[in-house]
Amino acid sequence: MSVTGSSASHQRKIHPPAPEPSPARRAAWVVVAALLAVLAVLPPFYLSGYWVRVITGLLMYAALASAINIMVGFAGYPALGNIVFFGTGAYTVAVLMVKYNTGFFVALAAAGVLAAVYAALLGTAVLRLRGAYFGIATIGINHATSELVTNLDRLTGGGRGTIVPFYPGGIEEERMFFYYLMLGLMVLSVFTVWVISRNRLGYGLRALKADQEGASVMGVNTTRYKVIAWTISAGLTGLVGGAYAYWLAFLEPPYVFDITMSVKTYIMAILGGAGTVIGPVVGAFALELLSELIWGRFLEAHMLVLGIVVVLVVLFIPQGFMNLVGRLLGGQRRRRAKEVRADG
Amino acid sequence: MSQIVVNGLLTGGLYALVAVGFSLVWGVMNVVNIAHAAYIMLGAYVSYWLYQLYGWDPFLSIPAAMAVLFVFGYLVASLVLNRVIRYGLVMTLVLTFGIDLILQNAALMLWSADYRSVTPAYAGQGLALGGVMVPYVRLAVFVLAIVFVILFSLFLSRTRMGNAIQATALNPAAAELTGVRIERIYALTYAIGAALAAAAGSMISVVYTIQPQVGNVFLTRAFVITVLGGLGSIPGALLGGVLLGLAESFATVTVGIGWSEAVSFSLLVIILIVRPQGLLGRRFFGGVG
Repeated sequence: MSVTGSSASHQRKIHPPAPEPSPARRAAWVVVAALLAVLAVLPPFYLSGYWVRVITGLLMYAALASAINIMVGFAGYPALGNIVFFGTGAYTVAVLMVKYNTGFFVALAAAGVLAAVYAALLGTAVLRLRGAYFGIATIGINHATSELVTNLDRLTGGGRGTIVPFYPGGIEEERMFFYYLMLGLMVLSVFTVWVISRNRLGYGLRALKADQEGASVMGVNTTRYKVIAWTISAGLTGLVGGAYAYWLAFLEPPYVFDITMSVKTYIMAILGGAGTVIGPVVGAFALELLSELIWGRFLEAHMLVLGIVVVLVVLFIPQGFMNLVGRLLGGQRRRRAKEVRADG
Repeated sequence: MSQIVVNGLLTGGLYALVAVGFSLVWGVMNVVNIAHAAYIMLGAYVSYWLYQLYGWDPFLSIPAAMAVLFVFGYLVASLVLNRVIRYGLVMTLVLTFGIDLILQNAALMLWSADYRSVTPAYAGQGLALGGVMVPYVRLAVFVLAIVFVILFSLFLSRTRMGNAIQATALNPAAAELTGVRIERIYALTYAIGAALAAAAGSMISVVYTIQPQVGNVFLTRAFVITVLGGLGSIPGALLGGVLLGLAESFATVTVGIGWSEAVSFSLLVIILIVRPQGLLGRRFFGGVG
């Protein structure tokens, strides 16, 4: 015990309190980031239409998983019904474009804003609930909102669904448009999570996840933090929903208020590692690629296999991939984490 | 007016039976059992196939459905759920969601998405009481559901095993110290929950048409009723079931049939915020902070 303690303090003398990466390490990161960027931008140019579509879907799920991660991973609130903001965003775009002839980007911005406002309004009441109660309340909100949309059929087309105007342009151009749109939304989501993870909000949320009373005593305004976190999460989810509406071009309430989809993004966040920045993206790619391969092979058993994957993940990697990788890479990461904790 | 009340009451009794097993598992094990939907569905299909293949009366096949799901539930709990239970409520919720996906989709592949129903000769007959129509089948289902709930309540309060289950619900660590084998009690509780779901499923197969996703609508009701009545409370489930049945019955007449889910979930959210321990709730797992 005393040995590890002294070695930690020794290391701290060499490195400044916040472990800044060395120049070589930073250069390595820049190279990796540049490679990833190139890899992300290229697909529409050399992959077939089918794979571009698949990857567009992957990006969408990665964005959704990142958005739900803000609630699940940082604040520790199981927002199982988060898909309600996806549906809200999708229908905002549909109604604005169909009934009010607005352009897509105006409608998309409105989708993000409306979803965020909806969460902010609901949040003050519902975020008083803890744990599973909050999760179930969000499922309830999703059902009720879905039914509301179905019943407002003069505005939304109701259960018959509604057709969103098609993207004006050729098939190739359309494919590229939605690919880059989803890529942009994913980058926005991941960037937002990254910013949250290193500023006051992120630390406050993690404190409140660990111990709400404790955080409150230490001066964290827990209600405000939770509501802000949910608002951001909802805004991002709403944007993705809006983009999805334009991509799909046809909406029905059950498609966009689908609890299965919500749970899927939840699993992705857990699978990759809840509370990490990259984890949900990794989880989304792993699960969606896997299910795409299964989909191609056995169409009928697709959901069944998804169920089996869910059970296996919970049984064998409940802490997520990122954690597993961390453990496999050895103690280095953990030692550094300990150091940070000692400083904080 | 009286017809609305009668409809609400009859549906409410069935809802109570649907909710009681769900509420028990949640209250005792701190597990939100999404797979409850699949167990309801499997119970319904056991009755359906016994009727279709061997001509068993659906009311006689209730014990068979319960036995099958009891064994199944016991296996699921002891082989899978017990290993994960220490990771907490959210993990087990995700796990049971996975189990539910597997079972529903297996059923879809085996038996297709066709709507099916059990139609014994007496289906559709009823009793007219001063202008109020009471179908025999629904009346029988109501009475049976109430009988099941009462029997189950007696089991919990009067038998050694029932007491062990209640002790585990209140304080697992203390129960273990007095010699209760927690893992076995969890498996048993889960199995009983599945068996109660199966009983409800059998009755649902007589009253409604069934398909592999039939359990889902009832699961959402079980949520509402459990929260309404209080976690793990049997009288609460009974009261919650009847109240929800009445509320939906009135909502159907006043605002239209398309709004029944919105009504039940608005009720849920309001109850959660105003009285999170439920109408008849007492200390169990998963208290709201």
